[in-house]
Amino acid sequence: MRRALPEAWFAWLLVAPAVIFIGVIVAWPLAETVRLSFTDAKLNSESYVGFENYADLLSSSKTYETVIRTFYWMFLSVGLKLVLGLIGATLLNAAVPGRALFRVLVMPPWVIPIAIGCFGWLWLYNGHFGLISGMLQRFGILDGPFEFLAYKTSAFYSAIVTDVWIGTPMVTLFLLAAMQGVSRDLYEAAWVDGAGRWYRFRRITIPQIMPVLVSMALLSAIWTFNSFEIIWILTEGGPRGATTTLIVDTYKTAIGNYKFGEGAARAVIIVILLALFSLIYLFFLNKVNRKYGVK
Amino acid sequence: MATLDLENISKSFGSAKVLHDIDLAIRDKEFVVFVGPSGCGKSTLLRIIAGLEESTAGKIVIGGQDVSGAHPVDRGISMVFQSYALYPHLSVFENIAFPLRVQKMGADDLKARVHRAADILQLTDKLQLKPGQLSGGQRQRVAIGRSIVREPKVFLFDEPLSNLDAALRGDMRVELSQLHRELNATMVYVTHDQVEAMTMADRIVVLNGGRVEQFGTPMELYHHPATKFVAGFIGQPNMNFVPGVVAGVDAAGVAVDLDAGGRLVLPIEADGAAKGDRVEVGMRPEDIRLGEGLSLNVKVIERLGGVTLAYGALGDDTRFCAALDGVAPAREGEPLALSIDPAACHLFNSDGRVMRRKAAPALVA
Repeated sequence: MRRALPEAWFAWLLVAPAVIFIGVIVAWPLAETVRLSFTDAKLNSESYVGFENYADLLSSSKTYETVIRTFYWMFLSVGLKLVLGLIGATLLNAAVPGRALFRVLVMPPWVIPIAIGCFGWLWLYNGHFGLISGMLQRFGILDGPFEFLAYKTSAFYSAIVTDVWIGTPMVTLFLLAAMQGVSRDLYEAAWVDGAGRWYRFRRITIPQIMPVLVSMALLSAIWTFNSFEIIWILTEGGPRGATTTLIVDTYKTAIGNYKFGEGAARAVIIVILLALFSLIYLFFLNKVNRKYGVK
Repeated sequence: MATLDLENISKSFGSAKVLHDIDLAIRDKEFVVFVGPSGCGKSTLLRIIAGLEESTAGKIVIGGQDVSGAHPVDRGISMVFQSYALYPHLSVFENIAFPLRVQKMGADDLKARVHRAADILQLTDKLQLKPGQLSGGQRQRVAIGRSIVREPKVFLFDEPLSNLDAALRGDMRVELSQLHRELNATMVYVTHDQVEAMTMADRIVVLNGGRVEQFGTPMELYHHPATKFVAGFIGQPNMNFVPGVVAGVDAAGVAVDLDAGGRLVLPIEADGAAKGDRVEVGMRPEDIRLGEGLSLNVKVIERLGGVTLAYGALGDDTRFCAALDGVAPAREGEPLALSIDPAACHLFNSDGRVMRRKAAPALVA
């Protein structure tokens, strides 16, 4: 018993840097955000308003539209990233000549700074000198110039395309790494048993990479939910709010309109939504890991 | 079940030839072991039989049917991998059932076959578990179960016991031999462990550098090794090779003056050897007795209880091992007088080919 106390102190000493670090960069800003959400803080004034910000948010139909749009944005984009990533990883994992070169060619969208990639897409989407509009006109699909980012529907899906373009390489590379970790013997055993390519993919590859696939889906979902730069550079949330997701709305409110209190309330709602989403996902991940033999 | 014939099988990877004109005729229901050191081509040969690797030349005939270009599933073989190759996400039942699911077998037949295999392998109470919950030996049995349910003509085993610890390996050797008797099947088994080969095989193929050194029963290989390589590979501890010079040849055999000193007259057919030829006398450690004629400078003693292994040098530099009685009065650092029955000796010419022994023990089939 006499040794227990010093040991406990020593343990605290060892974890102290991490605790302080997390306190400074996570706990304190989070607590401050929660505090601000109960105020009407602006540039030069701040007073306590209780749940008023939340009440305003929850009673506004615009909030629900934004939440639905955000989830739609997230599910569509993540779904596309996973499907394309899976296809890409499968192709890159296949024994084809020049495989190493293709693996390198997949990287640029991920390696290029997001802002630069987005400016490239901004030009591509331009109706008058953009490549896409030009090509579609040349092939006779468009009669004249089309500004992809000027209309609500096309702007939304254009932003999705850009987000998928930037996010897919990482998914591809993680899934490729997972696929390469699958023992060759499993495929050979199945091949000897007469299992065809699709059967092996369905019964061996997918289950074997499932834990990574699910983890990637969770991470990708959180990043996509919070994806800000892409939308901001392409459309600033427009036209007429068509690409305004929760994070863009929060930025516009807090930083654009200097309504820090209202912005903080939105941020808190994002945290709650993501926490709920993560909990559901972690529960699911745990089940997947157990089912596929990881635990 | 079926015969397996390999006719002039060669395999090259780029400019490197790893198998040279392999010709083997494996009989129906025979347990044949491919044995050899790492890189001798034994696993490649097995993979060629399985259809996982294509041979550069030659023919594979299973049950009288040329299957050289056939898909593995059409060859009537099944294979057990060194790593077991079990699907970690599937239960034992589903692992064993996997080949049958691929064949789209009906549920009742499938269940019956899996339960029959599980029964043979004592896995019935483990069918619902995942491979991760099994011991090494049980996993190996599941892998074998997956082979059994396909009811193949030929079973192929690629070093299936090498991931197990020594004690379990011994148990599994016995189990595999029993399984062979129960299934009455043709089995080809690859290992680098000569003890596995000796204990399990009906016949052994010794491979070296992509060539068949010898194909015969374990006792043939032990008592009549065709080459110095086989003689050195089969038997534990390894055979001693004592260099010398042919001193004369007569009706009694070949007289050899050992470099380490002393003369042995060996009852061996001269096979063209003449006075003055360099030769090597092969002496198995277990044939050495305490006596006169050989003087061993003992460096290390290993007492195993029933047996004492004395390691050292004959003369100045001929490495030598003697397997003596458990209480043999050998001491490290002291000379030990030994003898050997000349009839127990083997004689190899300078090319490593053996000269035929006149008085070898009768072979046990």
